[in-house]
Amino acid sequence: MSKLQDWKKDRGEAPGVTPVALHEHRILVANRGEIAMRIMRSCIKLGVAFTAVYTAEDAASGHVRLAREKGGEKGLFRVSSYHDANELMAVADEAGCTAVHPGYGFFAEDFRFARRVTKRDRKMIFIGPSWKIIRELGDKINTKRLARSLGVPTVPGSDRPIYDELEAERIAKSVFDFQEQQGIQRPLVLVKASAGGGGMGIEEVYDPDQFRSVYRRIRNYAMRQFKDEGVLIEQRITDFNHLEVQVISDRSGRNPVHFGTRNCSIQSTGLQKRVEIAPGFAPETLEYSFNAERVLTDIVDYSLTMARKVGYDNVGTWEWIVTRKGEPFLMEVNTRIQVENGVSACISRVHGREGVDLIAEQIRTGLGQPLGYTQEDIATEGVGIEYRLIAEDPDNNFTPWVGRIERFAWEEAPWLTMLTHVPCDAPYEIPTEFDPNLALAIIWGRDLHEAQARGLTFLNSLRLEGSNNAGEALKSNVGFLKANTGRILHF
Amino acid sequence: MDNNIAKRIQSLRDRLTYLQDIFAGKHADNANLLEERLAAFTERARWAQLDDPYADIASLEDLFAYVERRLEDCITPMDKVRIVRHPQRVCLRDILENVYDNFTEVGGQDEHSLDPGMLIARAVITRRSGKKSHTQSVMVIGQEKGHGAEFRNGGSVKPWGNAKALQYMRVAETEGIPIHAYIFTPGSYPIEDYPGAAQQIARNIYGMAGLRVPVVAVISEGGSGGAEAIGLADKRLMLSHGYYSVISPEGAAAIEGRIKEGERATPELIEHCAEHLRITAQDNLAFGYIDRIVQEPPLGARPWHFDFFRHLRQEVIRATDEVIISTRRMPLLKSIALSRRRKADANLDEMHMGWGLSASAKERLRERRQQKFLRLSRQAACDRRPFWTKTATAFCDWLAKPWRTFKYDFYRKHQRQMRSMMEEVSNEWDLFRNRLLSPWRRLSHKLPGRAENAQAQLELTALSAWSGDGRKSKWNYISPRFKIDRTLTCPNSASYGCLDLWGPDLFAEFAGVCSHCGYHFPMEPEWYVKNVFDVGSVFEFNSEIEAGNPLDFPDFSARVAEAQQKTGSKSGCMTFEARIDGIKMVVAMLMGTFRGGSVGAAEGYKFVEAAQRAAKKRYPFLAYVHGTAGIRIQEGTHGVIQMPRCTVAVRRYIESGGLYMVLYDTNSFAGPLASFLGCSPYQFAVRSSNIGFAGPGVIKETTGMDIPPKYHRSYRALSRGHIQGIWDRRQIRANLKQALLTIGGRNLYYR
Amino acid sequence: MIDISALLDEIKASPYREIVIATPHTGRLTFAGLRTGDTVLGPQGQWKEKPGTQLATLERERNPKPICAPEKGEISNLYSELEGQFVEAGTPLAVLRHMLTREEVLRLILQKALHLFCAPERAKYYFTPEVDKKIRASDAHSVAVRDGMEILIMSRMKREVPLHYRGPDGVIYEVYFKYNENVDAGAPLIGVCPRDQLSAIQEVIMRVQTEWKDRG
Repeated sequence: MSKLQDWKKDRGEAPGVTPVALHEHRILVANRGEIAMRIMRSCIKLGVAFTAVYTAEDAASGHVRLAREKGGEKGLFRVSSYHDANELMAVADEAGCTAVHPGYGFFAEDFRFARRVTKRDRKMIFIGPSWKIIRELGDKINTKRLARSLGVPTVPGSDRPIYDELEAERIAKSVFDFQEQQGIQRPLVLVKASAGGGGMGIEEVYDPDQFRSVYRRIRNYAMRQFKDEGVLIEQRITDFNHLEVQVISDRSGRNPVHFGTRNCSIQSTGLQKRVEIAPGFAPETLEYSFNAERVLTDIVDYSLTMARKVGYDNVGTWEWIVTRKGEPFLMEVNTRIQVENGVSACISRVHGREGVDLIAEQIRTGLGQPLGYTQEDIATEGVGIEYRLIAEDPDNNFTPWVGRIERFAWEEAPWLTMLTHVPCDAPYEIPTEFDPNLALAIIWGRDLHEAQARGLTFLNSLRLEGSNNAGEALKSNVGFLKANTGRILHF
Repeated sequence: MDNNIAKRIQSLRDRLTYLQDIFAGKHADNANLLEERLAAFTERARWAQLDDPYADIASLEDLFAYVERRLEDCITPMDKVRIVRHPQRVCLRDILENVYDNFTEVGGQDEHSLDPGMLIARAVITRRSGKKSHTQSVMVIGQEKGHGAEFRNGGSVKPWGNAKALQYMRVAETEGIPIHAYIFTPGSYPIEDYPGAAQQIARNIYGMAGLRVPVVAVISEGGSGGAEAIGLADKRLMLSHGYYSVISPEGAAAIEGRIKEGERATPELIEHCAEHLRITAQDNLAFGYIDRIVQEPPLGARPWHFDFFRHLRQEVIRATDEVIISTRRMPLLKSIALSRRRKADANLDEMHMGWGLSASAKERLRERRQQKFLRLSRQAACDRRPFWTKTATAFCDWLAKPWRTFKYDFYRKHQRQMRSMMEEVSNEWDLFRNRLLSPWRRLSHKLPGRAENAQAQLELTALSAWSGDGRKSKWNYISPRFKIDRTLTCPNSASYGCLDLWGPDLFAEFAGVCSHCGYHFPMEPEWYVKNVFDVGSVFEFNSEIEAGNPLDFPDFSARVAEAQQKTGSKSGCMTFEARIDGIKMVVAMLMGTFRGGSVGAAEGYKFVEAAQRAAKKRYPFLAYVHGTAGIRIQEGTHGVIQMPRCTVAVRRYIESGGLYMVLYDTNSFAGPLASFLGCSPYQFAVRSSNIGFAGPGVIKETTGMDIPPKYHRSYRALSRGHIQGIWDRRQIRANLKQALLTIGGRNLYYR
Repeated sequence: MIDISALLDEIKASPYREIVIATPHTGRLTFAGLRTGDTVLGPQGQWKEKPGTQLATLERERNPKPICAPEKGEISNLYSELEGQFVEAGTPLAVLRHMLTREEVLRLILQKALHLFCAPERAKYYFTPEVDKKIRASDAHSVAVRDGMEILIMSRMKREVPLHYRGPDGVIYEVYFKYNENVDAGAPLIGVCPRDQLSAIQEVIMRVQTEWKDRG
């Protein structure tokens, strides 16, 4: 351990070579379900030992099975909750873990957790960006200001909390004027509490005369709720596509590369992603009203510029809004591995080879290995589609469905990767604690049409049956996914 | 045996049990001797074997008197405690009947009273001058122990009893008659029902500090807060066998011996504490906390000591007269009148003088009373300020006084007029200028606004200038506990499901606040000093005034030295000037880390000095109570006297126009709360603090009641109306600023 | 009306229940030196403010936490082989044989007498903020419920759904769920006593008070 401690500073600056060989590490998989399984598989591939955790509710989950089979001694511990960092630290110490992989959700973007992992007495490596970067990019105002300082486009509006009513009115007015000049039919202004988050304290204004009363309402709400009356005023963009850029860098933070773009515009009514496609647009197949190629290269360049500026040192995703006129605006940076990383991996070739595993790359670089390739070594081929199979009712506001899955089967194909923690050989009770995500299906095709066709083939072959206490049949979003496959990459 | 003899035997028997009781087994030989003689006499008297029973009983009585006189010399302080608690001791009703010529009880009769422990009566004293007789009214207020009557609760007064006392003090003030307060209490009844024991005592003390009628107090049993509730008087007399103390010797022994609930301290330890607390009349006279001792008969006054009542009558009349005389302006007449009354053989019943006062005399009376209390107990703190510092301070004050009078009393008043005049002039000028320039403006408006548009667009898309990012406020001071890699359990975790908190997060970023339920873990005093006030604005003064051991309480000097070593502070009170966003103020902070934040002579001294400084400089005055366990018991009455003293200082400050605010944190209990803290009209508390008069252990001990677990929570104090608001620790600075601006108004200070 | 005597006889046939005490979370376990057969006490005091007998200490991240007996009883099994071990969450460490007290018997019987409002789904349940405030301020008896009143929040799959009370109007007499604990579908959440049946309920209480003698 001491070797590690000496080397590991809180920025995790790596020297040229890995000081500790990969097989000397043990990673705590601080997550559940499908992502826990992917992390464990990547660990096995890399020859890194791992320790998984589970709660009593999850005892039947595939990730527990996998850990039992492949984890060996100290490979699996039951904890009271995935949300309790203390449990994870206690298990890590007991199992002798040297690093923690948070997956996505839970502690993935919690800079305090990352800080605790790297600053405690028995120090470990947080597989993800260093905590200062998580904190910096986790703050939307900070991110927006950083972007503007580098000339990266952001949503028009204020980039700092406004405390003065007159100033707020002036900015709101110029946001309205700005949209009129752009020829937008129905200009909208968004007023939100700068200290808020998660959709609280946000309101739209369509009438400039109404602004003052909305502003006051939000300001008073923010004062009561967050003890900070700062308010942000932005343009509300309604017609847009949601794009992302997959970035990865090693601990040096100097040579980030990207693994292309993704389009995540097919979402549920609650703005949750349901289908993700790589690459972000398909200008060779489809017609766009703007120069799509140009947009893709722009957002990639902007993302890497920012990554270089902050010394970004692990995987991350830059999320973008692209308007119908082809203007990109930076939305936020996700400082973690994302659910949909696999769809980028499936179209990527490093040194011309297939089988890119972004999670393995994340672990490898996270543990201090250099990236070992540059942007020139990365190419993309074909189109990838990822479907999220979820037990939910798309007709009823995507309400989660809870019950028992009795049959879960599909036709295997070489172009299909199925990622699931739901066992296919036994009935499975969906835990009520978590989202009812069942599986991720990643489909590859040489071009968009092939990918779409294969996607429909897969969805048609899928058998998913079950029932709940009341005897009602399982509800899933398969129909929604089928219906939306034709829409893919259209704008 | 005739009735007369039987009565006298009974009275001797009572005297014997009394003697045995108060000595609690000591001097058994004397007691046995008396018992034998009495038994022998009784036996023979019953069978009428005596020739001259009257002569025999007289000689027996003489023997009793002789033994009592002899034992009088070897009375210990603890014996005095037993004397005042004995059911045979004189009580207030005896005094009303024997000292005054007539009386009417007001505010209840016997058990049909709001609080039978507090007795209030209008009484009259008839005096003669020549052939004319004059009847003078007084308001008699005091605790009634009622010779052990259960419903009197031993003179332990509930909050509403003290409220009744205050009400009738106000009545006396309206009527312009003197108040005679008789203190017969072991302490107040420590319950938190509206408005709370501490809060009511604080109101009483604050009220008495400004009464405009003479107040004479007579102390028999002066138990801490309960005594102070009616004890802030112009003249304080004390019965020679009474005690006046910060805490009962048993209570002190329980604290000294670190006795746990359910156990009892040993009699030796109690005796030891009684001796070292210096609770007797003689001790208190030497300290200057009482003005005169009223001598009692040997072994203490009982209802049949009619001489004693005559003597007491003379003393209270003399004391009242002296107070009246002291307000007179002409020194020569004053001293003649005083010396006439101080003659040993003076019969004050024959020397009438009016007890009414003119308006200006009332002012002088108040001023004298306040000054008297401010002067007390200074010697009990070690003032280590070098001589030249004191001189320099005094000199600066002397110089600054006329300047301040000019600045605040003259300049400020006229400043407003000046300003409004200037405003008018400038308004006129603007109007004139606008009219002059309007043709130009009209021209320039017609030009197209190209540049403006580009500017606006740039503002919406480019980086704006923004200095202070106040959102991520970093603390200027973080608790050293943040270095320890461990987790802590929130006390509310059972009911709110809080996860364990990681120490480094909790004590650094979270400022000691549970991120789930908002429970506040206690923080160090430094945290507040450095995080609430502007950086670098804190200027400490009077740090050289040190807590000492004025009673030479055994082993206590070492413990004080240890506390000083541990905290790096010389006393439990830190006084400083500081600013919040440029608003200057004077702060007195009681630190819970220094011997539990207890208040002794040094702390009181510093508090009074701070209040006076705030008044002089016209700053708001904040009492920040990081924690206080009460009055420092090892300082005895030097500690108790801080209650009226500091309250007087606060009242003077408030009446001169100041804004006095109190902020409680962690645990605040007992004496300070029942006086100079509780009297503030603006009291706030930090979340998770506990506020009350006595802790659960003491309540159980004195009342036998079990206390619900959340009895002292600040939220209950808020519901009860004791405090005005509860603040989050992380928002103290913002809330304090808001309170200063809203309560203090635009000029903050000096209406 | 329910047959109280029959119920009481049924309970008297096996007047105890086994309480398995499991670790609330991971950590290193140290027993407090009790043995099988020892009697332990549950929380004491008028407000249950004093915790029960300490059975063990569980230390996690340098934070030792006592594990105390939830009820009075006799230790019928002690997993002493766990002494000094690192244990997972939910590991059983002792089994208590707890003789039913009068209050518990009362609860059991009341569960038959009251109108039970049951959980429609397995989920976590919370009172709505207004109701919660009332209960925290005094107790559950102070809350009157009406048919169709929004009383609970059902929390599962990260979604919170308001739950409307169905049943006769009355006051909440018993609360059967705990904070942050999953409740199975069909398990009772609250027991409601209609106002006009309050006297009947009082009678049940009286019967149990007189007919049940505490043992052990």
